[in-house]
Amino acid sequence: MSSETATMTVANAPSHRASRLDRFLMQGGIVITFLVVAVVATALIEPRFLNRLNLLNVMRNFALLLIPSLAQMLVMTAGGFDLSVGAVVAATSVVTAAVMLVGSIYFPGMELALIIASLVIALGVGALVGLVNAGLVSIFSLSPFMVTLAMMSVLMGIALYFTQGIPIYGVVDSFVANVGRGQFLSLPIVLWVALGVLAACIIMQRFTALGRHIYAVGSDQRSARLSGVATSRTLIAAYMLAGLLAALTGFLMTSRLGSGQSTIGGTLALETIAAAVIGGVSLRGGVGRAELVALAALFLSVIANAMNLVQVDSKYQTLVLGAVLIVALAIERLLLRKRQA
Amino acid sequence: MSTEAKTQPIAQPSGLSPKEILRAARLPIAIVVVLILFGLVEPRVLSFGNFRNIALQASYLAIFAMAQTMVLLTRGFDLSLGYTVSLVSVAASMAMVAMGGGDVSILYGVGAAVLIAGAIGLANGLLIAGIGINPLVTTLGMANMVLALASTISGGFPVTGLPKSLTAEFAEGSLLAIPTPIWIAALVFVLLFLTLKATRFGRSLYIIGANPRAAVAAGIRTVPVLVLAYVLCALLAALGALLLTARTGSGEPNLGGNLTLEAIAAAVVGGVRLSGGEGGVGAAVLGALFVTVLSNGMNLVQIDGYLQQICLGVIIIVSLIVNRDEARR
Repeated sequence: MSSETATMTVANAPSHRASRLDRFLMQGGIVITFLVVAVVATALIEPRFLNRLNLLNVMRNFALLLIPSLAQMLVMTAGGFDLSVGAVVAATSVVTAAVMLVGSIYFPGMELALIIASLVIALGVGALVGLVNAGLVSIFSLSPFMVTLAMMSVLMGIALYFTQGIPIYGVVDSFVANVGRGQFLSLPIVLWVALGVLAACIIMQRFTALGRHIYAVGSDQRSARLSGVATSRTLIAAYMLAGLLAALTGFLMTSRLGSGQSTIGGTLALETIAAAVIGGVSLRGGVGRAELVALAALFLSVIANAMNLVQVDSKYQTLVLGAVLIVALAIERLLLRKRQA
Repeated sequence: MSTEAKTQPIAQPSGLSPKEILRAARLPIAIVVVLILFGLVEPRVLSFGNFRNIALQASYLAIFAMAQTMVLLTRGFDLSLGYTVSLVSVAASMAMVAMGGGDVSILYGVGAAVLIAGAIGLANGLLIAGIGINPLVTTLGMANMVLALASTISGGFPVTGLPKSLTAEFAEGSLLAIPTPIWIAALVFVLLFLTLKATRFGRSLYIIGANPRAAVAAGIRTVPVLVLAYVLCALLAALGALLLTARTGSGEPNLGGNLTLEAIAAAVVGGVRLSGGEGGVGAAVLGALFVTVLSNGMNLVQIDGYLQQICLGVIIIVSLIVNRDEARR
């Protein structure tokens, strides 16, 4: 138990006596090392990695992992967990496509309006899910893990019930052309969106009261409340923001796929937790920085791409993902223990 | 038990007030009410054949819920349980087929199951207790590794050609007119009940769950106890996997997909607390029975499988809220 307290102290209040190892751990030493090794190794083993088209592909996948990973980070730094993130992505993908399909029957030709309407409705769904999650977690003080696990079951059930697992086609053409495949300054639109979200998260964490409150609630809810933080409101904000980001992911994924799919997002809970944890977000809350989570998401996207390039079966990719998650945590744990000795 | 009472603010008083009897009887009453409600819509729910069917189905889920309970008691979690079931089903079946598919090959299947589940449980336990990684993330990572193995080692296809006696004895067999799986679940229940109540290991599980620091202070060697809990959980999952494999008559890579959620749901509905130290195998069995009665009823009145998934989520949340109020009083 003492080593856990040590993690918190190190990350929250870096003392001037912090050792080199402390600083290495604090400033994302592990994730930066992982990322550099992965990029260099992939480029050496498979030169096609550096092709422009491949890099564009990596960036798109990175963007679509970064946004839900930031959602996971927000909830985890507030001391929670969100296993429903993948289910929200699936549900909002279905909602986005359904709104466009139905809307284009009644309002043919109004493509831009339909795209905006579907985005707004999808975001509304995401925010609502976040609100329900946060309400259950804060009003009844239930385990966030169980609440979001149950929410995942409910959302997947709803999405599958309405679609019976069949993709919804009829997505507006300009949506796929301009959002999913669109580019701005020769970079994918989805990447710009993700970077915008990242910048917003960094600013929120560093410079806003909400950012500070999320850290406070996550590290110690009781003392946060005693120091005048509105803990319930903070939790609701964190979960609703996470729901919004997951909904945005569902919207963007639909633009990439060209259809609404209730079966996407299956491994997203694992991937986002992996990105958050490798990026140094503490499982006990109170610690986590958006920029490091972004590096971790980039690392995971690079190794996924590397495995695709050398044609590793996608099922083994899940194996590698699970192993990377465990190894990263074990390394961090063992380094911390060594530091204590 | 006295140590638990001290460490846990929610101590159980020894006398039984009417309120407490009602609380203890709440789940059995709920089971009867659900049965009657479904019976009103579909009379077949209340037939003897269906009761037997419910007991049979519940015995599989009860084994998984009891497995999960072993680690839930320690504030742990096993998210890899469902995919362990899948992997054991496939690997044990492949072992049996490789050894000729005769009666003796069943022993090899059991051996493979024990080795694989033992290895998974040992890895989980060592990572969680030895290195100190969070149980949720450890078993989530493990779940995906195990899933990958389960869906690749057989090429993703069911493994057929199992010994006929496997299904005949362990799925369709019966003793004193009671099906074998029910006997096995009952045996597991009795053994685990005694282990939890009467052994040092069992009591250590409760103390670690109620207060890990106090457990260390009390001289409990937490690492071996926790490792054993995870190994036991995985081995019980393997037992359930073999029984389910006997029922389907083939090794199925998709066997355990929903089992993790269902096992946790059953334990939680039964009143096993996620914050550790409270509940037992009795709660797990009752919870499994409740979940089974509900899904059996929904099947008989022909409610869509996806709607059932929604119901399962709602039930988990409702029972969390109900059990929480109980703890508060």
